Amino acid sequence: MTQLVRDLMHPGLITCQPGASLGQVAVMLTQHHVHALIVVDRDGRPIGVISDFDLLAGEWLSANEKSLAAMRKMTAGELMTAPIGTIEIDAPAAEAARRMRTEAIHRLLVMEHGRAVGVISISDLMANLAKTIPAHRETVADVMSDAMLVCRDQTPVVAAARAMTDAHYRSVLVVDDRGKPLGVVNGGDLLAACEESDCNGLTVSQVMHPALTIHMTASLREAADLMIQHHHHRVVVIDPAHPDSMPLGIISSFDIVAEMARPGSVWSQDPGEGRAR
Amino acid sequence: MSIPPIGMGAQDSAERAKFEGEVTRITEAGNQVGVVLRVLGSLAFHMHCPRLGRLQAEMGRAYTDIDLAAYSHQAKEIRALLTGMGYVENREVFMVSEGNRAIFDNPTKHLHIDVFYEKLDFCHVIRWNGRLEMDSPTIPLAELLLEKMQIVKINEKDVIDTIMLLSEHALGDHDEETINIDLIARLCAADWGLWRTVTMNLDKVRKLAPAYSQLTDDQKNRVVDEVNTALSRIETEPKPMAWRMRARVGDRVQWYKDVEEVG
Repeated sequence: MTQLVRDLMHPGLITCQPGASLGQVAVMLTQHHVHALIVVDRDGRPIGVISDFDLLAGEWLSANEKSLAAMRKMTAGELMTAPIGTIEIDAPAAEAARRMRTEAIHRLLVMEHGRAVGVISISDLMANLAKTIPAHRETVADVMSDAMLVCRDQTPVVAAARAMTDAHYRSVLVVDDRGKPLGVVNGGDLLAACEESDCNGLTVSQVMHPALTIHMTASLREAADLMIQHHHHRVVVIDPAHPDSMPLGIISSFDIVAEMARPGSVWSQDPGEGRAR
Repeated sequence: MSIPPIGMGAQDSAERAKFEGEVTRITEAGNQVGVVLRVLGSLAFHMHCPRLGRLQAEMGRAYTDIDLAAYSHQAKEIRALLTGMGYVENREVFMVSEGNRAIFDNPTKHLHIDVFYEKLDFCHVIRWNGRLEMDSPTIPLAELLLEKMQIVKINEKDVIDTIMLLSEHALGDHDEETINIDLIARLCAADWGLWRTVTMNLDKVRKLAPAYSQLTDDQKNRVVDEVNTALSRIETEPKPMAWRMRARVGDRVQWYKDVEEVG
């Protein structure tokens, strides 16, 4: 990858105060259509990051009225991840990809002259991939995850949230009794459940979004394009001969970034080296 | 005159011998018919600490019942075994606990047996996970330590048992006369709540041990050193995302189940 962080980052910070409630954070994430907010102190200095994944803790731990009340009192400052990983604005973008992969994080705060000036996330790297990747490259089958977190359509939202958190998955595939994909539930979908006064009766079918599907022979560029166009982080890989049967796997934005960061990938080679593979 | 807490108080040697003899009789009978029965509770600590088991009597630790660990697929055989040895089962407990627990009483000997199938389920769940055969006649040392360290409102009798165990057994990565601290570290890394209670109690033991006059200075130092080593090992075990997320919420949300006195 020849670009620098400054070429791919999202300039500016979408922030919240440490005292913001989880409900307020959920609203801001939804309004700004982002996966995380930078938590800043009174002087505007970043002190942490809170993501849609962090908000899952609200559902995960609200097993009864008492714990729900405790979680409702929690603030962004208490639940945020701190400190935030940072990267210099002129660092290679490949370095950002490598760090996201090795540190299992989704974003880095971009610094310039000691000041936070933006954020670079998996989505930014993926967007770049969609624009620049050569037409003939690795396929979806090369990098997709064969293992999936799957549930039926009547699964309670709380159970899905707990499974996602326990397994460290960012989505659950919803299928019918024959394994046909019906939809996908991710952290963003669960945010809607967080806004409900009582989500105990909610099932995944009420919050899931339609599953984007792709064939395993499709290119990574096609997968990235699909994700970018629909602002989805993952696409369900289906068998073209049996589209209504159990899917073959899932490809996520993280899978693509991991491939970009892989030693020997075209993104890790010097610009002068051949890109055709 | 105040009434001592359950498990504490003077107990003559004949009464102690009655418990110790009976638990040996039961586990040996189990062995003969291929039933896995392992001892836990105060008797297990006594049996597994031949050098320091005397501390229980010296420190006023009394036996109150016989606690046994077993696999649920042998519940029928265990019922037949204990009934044949003069015990009467309280079937209601087995039914209400959905087969996780059974209680037997011997009206002649005035003895009470508690059988825990597959797991110990009090403040936290400690599963046998097919590990009962790792030791005999008690449950493995790691599970013995966890039996005490999972109690949120730990009391003096639990502290005494823990001190005995730590004084007499090294920490290591296996179960042969050794407390498998690697296993404990893994279980604590998989469950923030268990980590919270175990580390809290180890710290309590570290603070309380030096106050027992029945212990020599060497024994006190040994307990403190063992606790420090255990806490260090637990801290270095990598923690997954779910653990780290739960840690951020911390004590705001209750991390254990409310239970009555663990006898």
